[in-house]
Formats: sequence, structure tokens, C-alpha cells
Amino acid sequence: MRPAIAILRKELRVYFTTPVAYAAFTVFSIVTSFFFLRLLVGFQRQIDLNTQLRPHLLQYMNFTDQVLAPLTFQTAVVLVFVVPFITMRLLAEERRTRTFELLMTNPVAPWHIAWGKYLATLVVLAVMLALTLLYPLLVGLVAQVGGVAWETVGTGLLGLFMLGAAFVALGLFISALTSSQVVAAVITFCALLLLWVVGWAATENAGTTAEVLRSMSAIEHIRSFASGALDLRDLVYYLSLSLFGLFMTQRALEAQRWR
Amino acid sequence: MIEVQRLVKRYGAQPAVDGISFSVARGEVLGFLGPNGAGKTTTMRILTGALPATEGRVSVAGLDVFDQPMAVKRKVGYLPEVPPLYEELDVLAYLRFVARLKGLPGRRVKSEVERVVQTCGLGEVRGRLIANLSKGFRQRVGLAQALLADPEVLILDEPTIGLDPNQIAEIRGLIRRLAENHTVVLSTHILPEVIQVCQRVLIVHRGRIVADDRLENLTSEARSLEQTFHDLTQE
Repeated sequence: MRPAIAILRKELRVYFTTPVAYAAFTVFSIVTSFFFLRLLVGFQRQIDLNTQLRPHLLQYMNFTDQVLAPLTFQTAVVLVFVVPFITMRLLAEERRTRTFELLMTNPVAPWHIAWGKYLATLVVLAVMLALTLLYPLLVGLVAQVGGVAWETVGTGLLGLFMLGAAFVALGLFISALTSSQVVAAVITFCALLLLWVVGWAATENAGTTAEVLRSMSAIEHIRSFASGALDLRDLVYYLSLSLFGLFMTQRALEAQRWR
Repeated sequence: MIEVQRLVKRYGAQPAVDGISFSVARGEVLGFLGPNGAGKTTTMRILTGALPATEGRVSVAGLDVFDQPMAVKRKVGYLPEVPPLYEELDVLAYLRFVARLKGLPGRRVKSEVERVVQTCGLGEVRGRLIANLSKGFRQRVGLAQALLADPEVLILDEPTIGLDPNQIAEIRGLIRRLAENHTVVLSTHILPEVIQVCQRVLIVHRGRIVADDRLENLTSEARSLEQTFHDLTQE
């Protein structure tokens, strides 16, 4: 247990004393705030349009469904781009600087390394996602009617965290396979991209094929969270992806011993 | 303290270590010599429990390295050829991390780190980032890391490589002091270092032992250690 906590603390220290975490936060905030603004402007335009032409439709419009839900969905896509950047160094860097030797010659088990690094990265992920709370908070401050459905904000963030955690586990595993951060980032990005676009193929198919493809896509599973529902299937999907990544990381670390 | 019996390590078909046997007594300082690629680092990594052997038995402090690698790792302090340093951390943060990695309880971490800082003369750089340290200080931080939790066995892979003559003298003095109450395996290319620090010398060549003797038997007035080394390891 102690070595895992030691690794967790060290990783957090490195994340927050080097530009890695801050660079990720900056990019993430800029992109998500751009999406938020676009959704907000679109929502405003539609309100204006409906007020002039179809006033009876106004009662069906609401901020949560038309801004927050799509924002959760788009934020999930941003994670496809940002997560490889925060996971690439986790193990690749240890191999390149030969500090991996330190972990191998001390009483540290593979699971200590995998979990220590995984949990530290989840802290970074949680802080990053917490930044998006600013958007509904701002709207809540100025909203005159209706306001923000905070349960939906909550499930959306939970969904994003679960999805991010699964992405981190995969990124960690891929980082364990190479000593090059660039290679780790590129492969992780490709893997996450694949998990996203496999859902697109579903629209071109029908029946069982479409169903299978859709359930493989990591982004499709965020839909329930985004609309404010908790679906056990989606929770199980993200959890199993996380555990798979962690298990493979431990295996990769064990294999390392024999080289 | 260390028992090695018919140790073999192959990478693919190529043997890096080809059936070597030796033992090191408690409190002994063993000089581990050999040309580059002779199998020194491989042997040392096997002794630390980091690398499994292909054949043979290795035990450290009565514990089998293959059966109980975790217990062995607790008894051994290892300084690899390239000190395993995190450049982003300062010296104290790094040493605290390694102390916790070795499983020291929280209340002992501080005093133990303080002890190795004093032993290795790191007082003046304790708050500096490792990235900004000179080579000599980096080497000392590497050594300090190996001393944490006071292991019975120290395995040092070329600890004075790349240092200036003053720094070499300092590190050597440090190793001599450590030898008073530790078992030390020291690999080096610098033969005078062996004469100053070690009692016994082991020379390996192409994965095999070509000499294993007390220092005085390998050198005489007519033959320097250098000549002996040269004769035994020449192609």
C-alpha cells in the first residue's frame, strides 16, 4: 500500500510543479468554453427565432437539454484529444530516464505502480472536469426563468469522469509499452479516436451490427449521463474499460521484468 | 551474505552471464571488474532481484532472490550506472519519495532522509531541483537513495564514472566509510579505486569469472593489477 501512495504523491507533485497539468487545463478550458459559447449563442438565436415566428414552441425549449447535454457530449470528444497528452509520460518517461530501474529494484509490486499512477491522473482529470462547472454556474447566476438542472450537470460530470478514467487507464497501458512519449501519445490518441468513431459506423448499418458497433463506442455511452440518467450498462462499460487498462498495465509491467 | 551458484543469464541465445559462482562474506568489499559487456551490470541487476536469472541460484542474506524478490529488495541498496533521478523533484522530495517507496513508515521518513543527506554531504543542495545539480551531486543523490532504510548490502555500479578527481576522492572516502558496516559490491573500471577500497577482486570476462582472489594475491611488486586485468581479459 505504502509504495502505491508514495507513487501517487510523487506523480501529483510532478503534474502540478511542471507545466503538464496546467497546459492540459488551459487547452481543455479554451476548447470547452468555445463549445459552450457556440451552444449558448445557438440557443439564443433559436429563442429569438421562435419568439418571432413560432411562439408556441418556446415552452418546449430548455437550457439543460439544448446546451448542457450537447456540451457534455462535446466535452467527451475533447477528452479524446487531451487525455493522451496527460497519460503519455506516465511510464514512457520512467523508461527513458532509467528511473524505471528504481521501481524495479525496490520492494514495489506492479499493482503499486499501476494504481499509484492511475489515481494521480484521476485527480488531474477531476480538477480539469471541475473547471467546466463554471459554465452552468455562470448561467445559473444570470438565469431569470428556469435556471440550471443541477442533477443533469452532476450526472454529466460523473459520466465524463467515468469516460475519462477509462481513457486514462488505456493511456497508462500504452505508455507502459514504449519509452517514447510521442509514440505513447500518438497510439493512445488513435485508440481513443477509434473508440469514438466506431459509433459513426453504427449509423450506416442496421439491426444487430449497428447495436454492437454503438455499444462499443466510448462516446455513445455518455448519452445517458448527458441527458441526466444513470444507466447501469454505461457504468459497467466504463468500469470494465478502466479495469481492462489497469490489468493490462500490470501485465506489461510484469513482462518488463523478464527483458 | 551473498551466494551465487552457477548463474546463467541469456538474452535470446546469447549468454550475458555464463555460469558464474562466487560468494561475498558479511562486511566484505568486493571489487567487481571486467571489460564493458562482460556481464557485470547483468549480474548486479540479478543480485538486486530486478532481473530473473535464466539458470542458477542466487541468495542474499539467506533469502533466495527468485523465490522472495520483495524481501531481497528490502535488504539491498542499489546504485545503477545511471542514477535513477527524477529531474522535476528537489533533492528532499526525491529522497522522501524513495524512502516511502521502500515502505518506511511516515514518522521515520524525515529522520532517515536527514541521515542520508548528512552522510552524503547533500546539506547545501537539499532544496535544489535535481535537474540543476552538477554531476557530482547527482551521483551523491543516487548514492543517498541507495542508503535509505539502511540496507545490509550495497551494490554500486560504477559510482565514480564521469566525476572529477576531487569528487572521485570524496565518493571513494564515502564508500570506505560505508564499508565499515555494510557488505559492498562495487563495479568499476578504475583500477586504483579497487586498490584503495576493496579487499577482494572478482574479474569477469565474457560472462565467466577469470579471477577471484584477495587483492594482494593478484598484485605483486612486479605485476600491477592493471597488468593482471590486461592479461586475463585480452582477446
